[in-house]
Amino acid sequence: MVALGLVGFVLVAAGVIWRRGYGAAHAAEIRELDRRRAQLADEQAALERRVRELSSRTRLGPIVENRLGMRVPDDSQVVVLPAPATYDSAAR
Amino acid sequence: MTVLRASRVGVVHVALAVFAIALIARAAVVQLWHGKEWAETARREHLAPMPIMASRGTIVDATGAPLVESRELVRLGIAPRDVRDRRGLVHALASAGVPESWVSRATDRRRVWVEIPTRLLPEDAAPAIAMRGVREEPVSDRIGFGMGGLVSGLEVTLDTILRGDTGRVTVWRDGFGRRFESPAAPRSVIRGGNTVALTINHWLQDICERALADAVTRMQATGGDIVVLDPHDGAVLAMASVRTGQTNPAVTSLTEPFEPGSTLKPFIGAALLGLGRVGPTDVVDTHAGSITINGRTITDTHHAPAMTLRDVIRWSSNVGIVQFASRLSAREEFEALRDVGFGTPTGLPYPAEAGGTLREPARWSRQSAASLAIGYEIAITPLQLVLAYAAIANGGELLEPALVREIRSPDGAVWYRHQRRVVRRVMTRETAQQLRDALIETVEQGTGVQADLSTFAVAGKTGTARRVEGHGRYGTHAYTASFVGLFPARDPQYVILVKIDDPAGVYFGGSTAAPVSKVILKAAIAARDAALDRATLTARDYVPGAQLASTAARDSGDIPIAVASTKGGDVGDDPPEQAHPVTIALAHGARDSVTGSRADSAVERTVPDVRGLSLRAATRALHLAGFRVQLVDGRPGETSPVAGALARPGTVVRLGRVE
Repeated sequence: MVALGLVGFVLVAAGVIWRRGYGAAHAAEIRELDRRRAQLADEQAALERRVRELSSRTRLGPIVENRLGMRVPDDSQVVVLPAPATYDSAAR
Repeated sequence: MTVLRASRVGVVHVALAVFAIALIARAAVVQLWHGKEWAETARREHLAPMPIMASRGTIVDATGAPLVESRELVRLGIAPRDVRDRRGLVHALASAGVPESWVSRATDRRRVWVEIPTRLLPEDAAPAIAMRGVREEPVSDRIGFGMGGLVSGLEVTLDTILRGDTGRVTVWRDGFGRRFESPAAPRSVIRGGNTVALTINHWLQDICERALADAVTRMQATGGDIVVLDPHDGAVLAMASVRTGQTNPAVTSLTEPFEPGSTLKPFIGAALLGLGRVGPTDVVDTHAGSITINGRTITDTHHAPAMTLRDVIRWSSNVGIVQFASRLSAREEFEALRDVGFGTPTGLPYPAEAGGTLREPARWSRQSAASLAIGYEIAITPLQLVLAYAAIANGGELLEPALVREIRSPDGAVWYRHQRRVVRRVMTRETAQQLRDALIETVEQGTGVQADLSTFAVAGKTGTARRVEGHGRYGTHAYTASFVGLFPARDPQYVILVKIDDPAGVYFGGSTAAPVSKVILKAAIAARDAALDRATLTARDYVPGAQLASTAARDSGDIPIAVASTKGGDVGDDPPEQAHPVTIALAHGARDSVTGSRADSAVERTVPDVRGLSLRAATRALHLAGFRVQLVDGRPGETSPVAGALARPGTVVRLGRVE
């Protein structure tokens, strides 16, 4: 009986320890993933800023005008297309 | 022997029993009597509270593009005596970007604790953090996407909205002091900062920033400001400032008042019309462009014997507006300017907004009434001026300006959304319409022709005012050139102010600021999303063939304008277009030039032969020749009028294409 009791105690104790270890490992993993996500978000923000800087008119304007011969069109050269009819109005 | 052995076993049993009883007794004491104390001690040693900084809210523009974001960085604290791998730490810190002097301190065993001030990216600091004796402290940093001055001001004003609530989490500690988060550990709610969406459109902002930078460089000016406002709801769509020698100037559109000059005249006109002191056909004697009032001579560059109020605005006549303004009492003139918002901060959420200067009539001199009528003895901010023109644009209502479109909580719920707020009605709809008509004429035929577009009608007013320099007196050759435009003229979607400080050479608002306004409008029309409702534009403002003869020719090449300044006295103002010869460089076969009045720009030219060219090349050739192009079904390269025919610049040439 005593032996069985000891075995049961050991099993229960091992289960509790395993459960806590399992939880701690997952918590660490969650923390690591959170940190990684934050890092990626930071990196994305930095890259977006870089893209915005590199694609700004101040930087691109002189390049496309001088090297490619492009220019801002005159307002008369801009063709504004009418908005497409909605499904309802088209159906009618 | 057996008895002796039994007694020994009995002693051992007794001893074991005593030991067991003692153990149980001790356990009972520990668990039952001191259980709570020990549990508390264990909790203190195993668990540790850790504050968690809430992420600061993001500032985005009207399209949702971020203007400022937070990013998480770390700061390192090092206990040099606990460090085992000294060489590895030196390498890790150096690789992370820690200055050499701090690396030396961090590995100096004479020190107990070293906090490195450098903020590091977590991925860079990760190798160092993994080492014994190194602790990390998370810190937040802001990453901006331009508009530094405006955004910095908003960060201060909206701090409580952006900041969020700091939370707290309980972590486990092991025997080495390492911390582990537990999902089951108690945690207080962390509420991140709110997202603030501005009314600024970053596409339009980009257009304005480039146009202003180019203009300031080209004109060798000392600075400039551009403000674009939606006159229907008071939303600021773009706000750019440049000051030479400053990489990140403050938002001078809000903080630096200036004397506006002639851009103030429409508001004197509004008071005169509103009070019934001037009728549409009333004419004032403009004395051929010169008058002396209280010993001061006021001059015009457009020398006419008499003008209506409309002509006074169109030609920016100082003599005319001063004469008309004399029909107002000092109090009426003061109230007219005060009511449109001059002399009072607009209330925009910016920490250092200036209110400008508008003195009470009791403090006026004998010259003040005349000076105010032509935009002197008053200092206003660009934003105030734009808001006042927005009243003309929207039918007479002075609006509260808005820089914040929306505030959203981290879960996306909107708890503030800007709604149009009318401060007061400052003129009747009829008066606003009359002023708009006068401003349209100003751009079509008056001092603002260089702001005119080919296809869409623009209204506006030019201004040129002398600038006060460091010694407190007007500079000899220092001017503020400005233009305020309404686009499109009939139901304006933009009110745009362009102000150039101290341009070298030609300094008139009509020749310096007005063309910049045109550049911005053209780019905005062509841009993907510059806060323009194009459907409304096409429905109301497309004017095929209207005014094209002059504008298309003007746009086909640069128009050097020889300005023979006739300025005198202490008032600078706009040059009327007819007063100066205009040289037009013909774009197509640019061998001839026509010198004379603007009407000469409508010289007929030959429609080029574009057969055999690609559609793009054909369109380009026709545009270069000064024509407008309409694509129609037909044979590629076939035009109407046909190649070789004579047509005026700006004529619509139909170009065939295969459907």
